[in-house]
Amino acid sequence: MKIAVCIKQTPDTEARILVAPSGCSIEEAGLTWIISPHDESALEQALQIRDRCQGRVTAVALGPARVKQALREALAMGADEALHLPCDAMPADAAVTAAALAQALAPRTFDLILTGEQSIDQAGSQVPQRLAVALGWPCVTAVEGLEVDGNSVNAERPREQAEETVRFELPAVVGINRRIGEPRYPSFRGIMKAKRKPIGVAVVTLDEEAMVRVRMRAPKAKKQGVVGAYGSGIEDTVAALLAGAAKV
Amino acid sequence: MAEILVIEEAVTFAAGDGTHPVTRELCHAADDIARRTGHEWASLEVALPEALLRDPAAFGEAIAEASRDSWLVMMGSTSLGRDVMARAAGLLQVPLAQDCTAYSVTDGSPTFTRPLYGGKVLVDVQLKSRPMLATFRPRALPAFDGVARVLKHVACRSPTSPVVQVDVCAARVGRTLGVTEADVVVSGGRGMVGPDNWHILEELVSVLGPRATLACSRPVSDEGWRPRAEHVGQTGQAIAPDVYIACGISGAIQHVAGITGSKCIIAINRDADAPIFKVADYGIVGDLFEVVPALTQAIRAFGDS
Repeated sequence: MKIAVCIKQTPDTEARILVAPSGCSIEEAGLTWIISPHDESALEQALQIRDRCQGRVTAVALGPARVKQALREALAMGADEALHLPCDAMPADAAVTAAALAQALAPRTFDLILTGEQSIDQAGSQVPQRLAVALGWPCVTAVEGLEVDGNSVNAERPREQAEETVRFELPAVVGINRRIGEPRYPSFRGIMKAKRKPIGVAVVTLDEEAMVRVRMRAPKAKKQGVVGAYGSGIEDTVAALLAGAAKV
Repeated sequence: MAEILVIEEAVTFAAGDGTHPVTRELCHAADDIARRTGHEWASLEVALPEALLRDPAAFGEAIAEASRDSWLVMMGSTSLGRDVMARAAGLLQVPLAQDCTAYSVTDGSPTFTRPLYGGKVLVDVQLKSRPMLATFRPRALPAFDGVARVLKHVACRSPTSPVVQVDVCAARVGRTLGVTEADVVVSGGRGMVGPDNWHILEELVSVLGPRATLACSRPVSDEGWRPRAEHVGQTGQAIAPDVYIACGISGAIQHVAGITGSKCIIAINRDADAPIFKVADYGIVGDLFEVVPALTQAIRAFGDS
């Protein structure tokens, strides 16, 4: 089975994010970069499927040169090959990202494409569905459980309304939520092997973006709240406030 | 079809069937934008064959069919809403402003505000497309108090060939409120020590009335102490209740990302240096096993007096 995993390199969840003077991007200097957590769990699922059913896992990333580091990490975790789609700056419009990924993935005849249900930077939750539309494949996203048996797939997808089990046939695009499980750590051997593996390049053209960033800004700073030890009277203030909210 | 469409999501509550409360919030935005831009608006019920109701491909296709001539199409940023609107946007080949928390109107066209980087940054975007597609986070907008014109679109697709077969294995029938819908959210973290201690939070929820519900932090759902649907944070759900009560939650940046939309944050934690106190409007430093039952007692006393 040929599995592609689309990974996005994002700033670490702990990182402090500052808006660049242009007002339309962030300061990238000094940031620590990671594989977006949902994508990392998607990669873990791909590796487990490969280990059970044979096949190859290709990690795919769109972005400037820095994303090669994310691909190197994917190889260290156990991906068989890596494919870099170079571009100057990450698109702000998920439509453009998905179209670029589809250009590279369509001719390579994969059976299964896995990716995070959303990236933790843009949080658009669009790439899996848009990729599936472009390829004419079924798509199931926000997946928290996955079983592949030959060409048949069972996926667990929790909705606000119900826990759903979705059955479908490959080829398909699946959007994974981190809650499916933590990814493995790369082994020392994996890291050493990854250094020798080549990173392939696929040239893609980016469409013009129809979603335009007018301005990026920090949210309004919150004013310091009232904090006190239990017994200082703060609990009475809080109880009165909650009684008001509950309209007791 | 109307120029501005609000896509309804059908839901089931303990009280019966209806539309998701976010629909009324979107109607407020639709009504306001319509007045300021001279467009007409309507709420749209998408009628799908039973077999396709839970298939986002069919729902997204129906939205795309219904909205080809529209100017602006909005839906709630729920699990289903995000999914089907992404599908519709792909089919229409237009951008989608997903998970918005605010909007403004200048020179007859809307600007949408979305949180990025887990809420550390906000971005204002404009959509150079027709239709413009946007989803809004539940509870980010006020609710509409007028009467909406409701249209119905019957999907063209035949019900014989669902692309994916969806089985409901555990419908949350008779459920009270989801974490994104509640006015008051009582949330437990690692400080709760174990799943057997949750009764003290349940008792607090019960005195806070029918608009209150339970939530938890990521370690709690990872440990299996509470269901995954209750997980609030950057990799769980983002919520915006009137009051959020964090009990034994240290306030990791990933958790805080999910709760910054709350109007009032109350934190209870033993550790005075816990980062949750930096974002709290009210903080009680103390043992939650002492503080929470005392609060429950005090609120009950308000009711009795």
